[in-house]
Amino acid sequence: MEHVKQEEPALDISDLSFSYPQRSPVLRNINLKLRPGEKVGVIGPNGAGKTTLFMLICGVLKTSSGNISLFGRDVVPGEFRPEVGLVFQNPDDQLFCPSVEDDVAFGPKNLGLTAEEVQGRVREAMALTGIQELAQYPPHHLSGGQKRMVAIAGVLAMHPQLVIYDEPTSNLDINYRRRLISFLQRSREAMLIASHDLEFILEVCDRVILLDEGRVVTGGKPSEIMSNVKLMEKHSLEKPHSLVPHAEPHHGVNP
Amino acid sequence: MKLQLDRYAYLETPLHAWDPRYKLVGFMTLIFAFSFVENLQLLPFMVAVSGILYAVSHLPLSFLLARLRLPGFFLLMMGVLLPFLSGSTVLFHLGPLSVKQEGCLDLLLISVKFVCILTMGIILFGTSPFLTNVKAMRALGLPSILADMILFTYRYLYDINDNLRTMQTAMRLRGFQGHKLKNLFTLASLAGTILVRSYEQSDRVYRAMTLRGYGQAGENRGGQDNEFKAYSRDLFGLVLLMVAAAFVAGQVLIH
Amino acid sequence: MGIDRYSPVFQEGEKLMHIPDGVLPTTVCLGGYITAGAATWFSLRKISRQENPREGMPKASLLTAAFLVVSWIHIPIPPASVHLMLNGLLGAVLGYYAFPAILIGLFFQAIMFQHGGLTTLGVNATVIGVPALLAYYIFRLRNMVGKENRVLTGLFGFLAGGGGLALSAVAAFFILVTTIPAHLNVEAERASIYALTLAHIPVMILEGVFTAVVAVFLQRVKPELLEG
Repeated sequence: MEHVKQEEPALDISDLSFSYPQRSPVLRNINLKLRPGEKVGVIGPNGAGKTTLFMLICGVLKTSSGNISLFGRDVVPGEFRPEVGLVFQNPDDQLFCPSVEDDVAFGPKNLGLTAEEVQGRVREAMALTGIQELAQYPPHHLSGGQKRMVAIAGVLAMHPQLVIYDEPTSNLDINYRRRLISFLQRSREAMLIASHDLEFILEVCDRVILLDEGRVVTGGKPSEIMSNVKLMEKHSLEKPHSLVPHAEPHHGVNP
Repeated sequence: MKLQLDRYAYLETPLHAWDPRYKLVGFMTLIFAFSFVENLQLLPFMVAVSGILYAVSHLPLSFLLARLRLPGFFLLMMGVLLPFLSGSTVLFHLGPLSVKQEGCLDLLLISVKFVCILTMGIILFGTSPFLTNVKAMRALGLPSILADMILFTYRYLYDINDNLRTMQTAMRLRGFQGHKLKNLFTLASLAGTILVRSYEQSDRVYRAMTLRGYGQAGENRGGQDNEFKAYSRDLFGLVLLMVAAAFVAGQVLIH
Repeated sequence: MGIDRYSPVFQEGEKLMHIPDGVLPTTVCLGGYITAGAATWFSLRKISRQENPREGMPKASLLTAAFLVVSWIHIPIPPASVHLMLNGLLGAVLGYYAFPAILIGLFFQAIMFQHGGLTTLGVNATVIGVPALLAYYIFRLRNMVGKENRVLTGLFGFLAGGGGLALSAVAAFFILVTTIPAHLNVEAERASIYALTLAHIPVMILEGVFTAVVAVFLQRVKPELLEG
């Protein structure tokens, strides 16, 4: 099922475990591989360890055991790896500059680029996310959806090859949610997306893993995993509505 | 809460267009020159200069009055003692108290200086976006860490205030009435909660910053990219410095 | 309880310590800038020696904003209400960052609300900020006696909070009384300073109590915040 690729995996986690000092393990024996350009969803109940996993991948936390490598190179805690970007659950945590334009420019500036290069990256990222008119706004004047897109622009401006999204559709209205879905479907970077919004995962991801109590319970095609009612209920999840067989079909596609 | 002192920063007047660095230097010098004035004969000139500058700025009068109202009230409350306490030449009696001339003149001097200086401050910060003024201060030598702190404080002031309002509303809806002294403990818990939440958020913000390169070798150290370009016309504005010098000289000569 | 509406029925004390523009002689204002500059230099130097100064900056900034917001909460002293200054608590929580935080907080209050002043920024920062640093030292004594103890935390919180305000009050009143009314004689000046200070003892006690309660709260919920 998995072809052997010549290129390096975007993300290679082997046997990862993590616990805080003198506390029970948060993550146990995680194994996960992402191919470049692959979009993988992470589903599971609250407290399953998703955010911790993301912090480990980004090098913010140090593993207790096991190994993480990004694009062939091991992750060293504290080392700056611009190839990976993280879109936080709460955009207010990552929009810390006084204007949108400044915030998008923050990352490229820290990459040591020239002023023209930074400007170019900012323009490109804002165009990709459709937020050009918001350039001079202060973040606190923006709606939830707008903040989300600005946060994404700020991460994309660094040209990451792997982007991690932590609950990207929370607090989004229908329009922005749809916009985000289309945007992610068009994007070419590898992605790791944690979400409770299972319909969203269905539409965007090629593959999904189910995380519960710190372990990867299973993984596979989103529609297959999420149709398994017993499995979903066992891990405090619900089968998405669109996968439920209907007496009167009212969806476009039958699963 | 309105920080909207730069609500009218979008207008187009010579004051708005003036290079913010020169504007800062010019206005602060003039402000200090005003504070140097001790002689009543110079007061009309102060008022004239303030009036002219305010007219040039095209800021609405209502804006100024709204901002002067409360501070003016408090100044008067404090200063109202002066006519009764200070001086020896009695103007008239109010019951057992005597209103003295020197005290009245002191009050007049303080009040006029107060209004003129505040007007200058309102013009200075009302004719450029706040962010621009902070960058100008950094360009003029304000330590980076202070400039960064100002910008961060500014960025999160709204959010934290919103947090407070939300919590206060929630408290009120559960029957809390703020007028009783016994509620001190609740208010202390409210204050503590705000502090804790802000502290925890700052942790997440710091992580978001490091993930986009804050603290790295190639990092943008801010203020080194030349945001401001001065033209010779900006120097004309420094005529304000000459006006300021005139006040100082006038004061010294009269004395 | 809103911050847009100021009910005039309150707090001269806190207002007096934010000395407005136009009231002080220029020499005093410039002197204030010099002392504030020195205190800032001192604080920044201490900060740069810390383990991770870059990490401290977002923390201090958000807490500066939080303190600004918190200082707007109306605390009832029937029949009126006051706004507390909380410079003692600031010292206890922020340590050396307390001085820059107060400087920045006063700057915002001056330009946003015209509370305090631009020429008097240096004087106000010194009057409020230096006692905050002293409150930090007072609160730090807790470490010698055992910082997990809640009673001690409360006690040192009280001393830091009340002491911080007391020092600021005395300094502010001294400056005001000696510089403004040019025609007062020395005895009247001294009497005024005493009177003003005495009148603010209830507020000092209130600040002390409030600081103590918040300190105990923080000790329970997030002791790292009190690491100052």
